[in-house]
Amino acid sequence: MSDLLFNNSLSEELDRFQRQISSLFTGQPSSIRASRLSSFPQINLGSTDESVEIVAFGPGIDPAKLELTVDKGLLTISGERTRVEPQSEGRSYTQERFVGAFRRAIKLPRDADSDNVKARYANGCLAISIGKRETSRPRIIAIQ
Amino acid sequence: MNTQTQLAERNAGTVTRSGDTQAQKGPAIVPAVDIYEDVHGITLWADLPGVSRDRLNVHVQDGNLFIEGEASIDTAEGLRLHHAEIREPRYARAFSLSADFDISKIDANLSDGVLKLSIPRREEARPRRIEVSVG
Repeated sequence: MSDLLFNNSLSEELDRFQRQISSLFTGQPSSIRASRLSSFPQINLGSTDESVEIVAFGPGIDPAKLELTVDKGLLTISGERTRVEPQSEGRSYTQERFVGAFRRAIKLPRDADSDNVKARYANGCLAISIGKRETSRPRIIAIQ
Repeated sequence: MNTQTQLAERNAGTVTRSGDTQAQKGPAIVPAVDIYEDVHGITLWADLPGVSRDRLNVHVQDGNLFIEGEASIDTAEGLRLHHAEIREPRYARAFSLSADFDISKIDANLSDGVLKLSIPRREEARPRRIEVSVG
């Protein structure tokens, strides 16, 4: 039996195993309902004092086919991603990338102004900025 | 085509190997890839949203192909993050390539956050039809 099996590489193997298992969980989205497959494109949501910022990570989407609607405070991003069909005959080893129609809906806060929406698609990221209504910005009330 | 079924193997542990410089850089997202092989070589598509050309690093070392990218999005001032499904801006993935492929002729194209790599086979390694003479 070779000694190579029992030297300190065993603890390295355990380390690597532990990292692999933990890497399975760190990649999960924060929502308990969303799984990786059902949440394309992935979304980051943030806000400033003046706007609500949404970034949808969807590479390879044709912006002309992307539909962005705001209705009654609900922002919906929908579209379709088609796979580039290879011309020559061959074999596919992995198809991890999402293909097909997608739709994601985000409930906007009440102070979001649906007339003031700007969207930009760059490097595969859709950045949406929704302005907040003027009246709802934080104001200091003077006390007499 | 030869009968080997795994020409480009995925080393799942490569990204988080101890002592590797990648592990020291911190956690990274494993990007989704599509791999397709035909008689000319391998075509690989990787989803790297938010990565621009200057932040993408594709290199081959010791027969391993490394894809590394850093996503950057213009964030407004005073942004408070409420819900983040992508927490790390780094993407990293590695593959081992067999010697059949001509590393010097790899073609890479990045558009709309999709990286497309074309890795051609070496001339000598192309499948060849051998003429059989009768008689």
